Amino acid sequence: MSKKGPTLTVLDPVGQPSGVFGRRLDVDSPPWAIHDPENQPRDTAEALGAMKMAPRLDSLEGKTVYLVNTGFAGAKEFMEEVQDWFTRNRPSVKTELRHKKTSMFTDDPELWAEIKKNGDAVVFGVGG
Amino acid sequence: MPTAPITTARFADYVQRDGRSHGMNLRYSFPPYPVGWVSRETLHGYVQGNDPISGVPLMEEVISALTQPLTEAEKHSKLVKRPLRTRLLEPDTETNLHRLFLENGWTDGLPIILPTEERVAEMLTGTDRDPQEFVGMMSVTTHEERLQYTVERVAVNAVMAGARPEHFPVILALGASGRPSMPSSTTSFASMMVVNGPIRDEIGMNYGLGALSPVNYANSVIGRAWTLMSINLGDVRPGATFTASTGTTINYNNMCCAENEELSVWEPFHARKGFKRDESTVSLFRGWTVLGFNTGPVQRMLEVMKNLSGPFGGAFTFVIDPLVAKSLKHEEGYDDPMELSKWLVEKMQTRFGRPEMVNFVVVGGEMNPMWVITDFSYFQSTSIDPWIPKSGIRKDERPLRMPEAVASADGSCGISH
Repeated sequence: MSKKGPTLTVLDPVGQPSGVFGRRLDVDSPPWAIHDPENQPRDTAEALGAMKMAPRLDSLEGKTVYLVNTGFAGAKEFMEEVQDWFTRNRPSVKTELRHKKTSMFTDDPELWAEIKKNGDAVVFGVGG
Repeated sequence: MPTAPITTARFADYVQRDGRSHGMNLRYSFPPYPVGWVSRETLHGYVQGNDPISGVPLMEEVISALTQPLTEAEKHSKLVKRPLRTRLLEPDTETNLHRLFLENGWTDGLPIILPTEERVAEMLTGTDRDPQEFVGMMSVTTHEERLQYTVERVAVNAVMAGARPEHFPVILALGASGRPSMPSSTTSFASMMVVNGPIRDEIGMNYGLGALSPVNYANSVIGRAWTLMSINLGDVRPGATFTASTGTTINYNNMCCAENEELSVWEPFHARKGFKRDESTVSLFRGWTVLGFNTGPVQRMLEVMKNLSGPFGGAFTFVIDPLVAKSLKHEEGYDDPMELSKWLVEKMQTRFGRPEMVNFVVVGGEMNPMWVITDFSYFQSTSIDPWIPKSGIRKDERPLRMPEAVASADGSCGISH
């Protein structure tokens, strides 16, 4: 860019990082709270940084895989197709199809508890 | 527990960026898109076929995501911190700076006023607050890192919008709400803002004829300032944080107007929400679009609501000419618009069924008894008064005002040339 002519000093218009993130809604939150700064639950950079990925399984043979429909349009039918694929191609894998009770934005602790108790792995789908 | 998320290939970049900002790149698999409103055969093909991003069979990829050992990077993932912003940008020529702001996506695409130190300092005279006082945090996303901002950063965006110090308290109240005017959603959100109270007249806002049209300086620059704040303080980055599929032109100005308290037969909107009548507030609404406009009694309103209920239906905000409010009160007996909301909700039998989800604001110049129906929900009203200087609104010696609507009472019948 040309530097000809007098120069100006201007201020940066962009906000500063805060270390505060949004996160999924609590189970008793109304669905519209996802875009509501007053009611939306928050996470911090520290809390997010402490989260780690779980170790993987050696194999899915004989394991129970939960298939969770997150609630986006078409997800129910898509996850049914995923379940059908397992039935046809991996009959040794037991699958359990579940549908989130509320919106895709909302926590579902009862379902997570069921999966932790009875499952070995989870497939979530389908976003978008 | 091992988890394999699936999202469509349209969001591959999006979730990978999200993974970086959250410190964990999950093992996504990506089918083609769209998934919604396509045939079962198409979905069957997606599941049987390849991930178009990796070229690997989709379900084999899902199984690998659950069974392949974690890499060292996955075991030791960490959140990448965004760098702090500087207060001043590198000095440059006016032409180059305009290009810089435009090419960095710091504007709405229209020309801006460059926020020089002198101009920002002048804007700061519009409040008594310390320039470095924390005002709030904002993000157009639901999940990404919020950006925080001071009184000075809000002033920078107010200058860019073309506002004057007299407008600054309203703009600060918008900033304090923490609410972006254009939250990110593939469904393309829109917002509306309505000002109540004495500040309307002090800063020359339009609540009469053409209040929602570009014929008033205050309405134009305040509405635009909310958009620029949403972009710069709410972190709009198209595709990365902002995903509105079609977008909406309402985002340019956010239907910024004031309520016509003088000609309304009802309590002002903010008074109905618990504020004092002599308090100045800005009320914020959000939905998707203006559904239509019409005229007629409540039965007609009900018919239109039933016909127009959108895919996410249930909430409506009516922007009604003062003549409509008069008719509703005097002809149909609704002394309180909440009674009307209750009646409409009862008749609509909506999923949520709360009268608070049907709102009325009185705006317009009594040229036609018409009402505009939107799918907007009311979210909050924020007080403007805490941001006003103790000495009062800081006005220019000769405040900038566009021509006011010509009143026929002066004998001109609106003919000025």
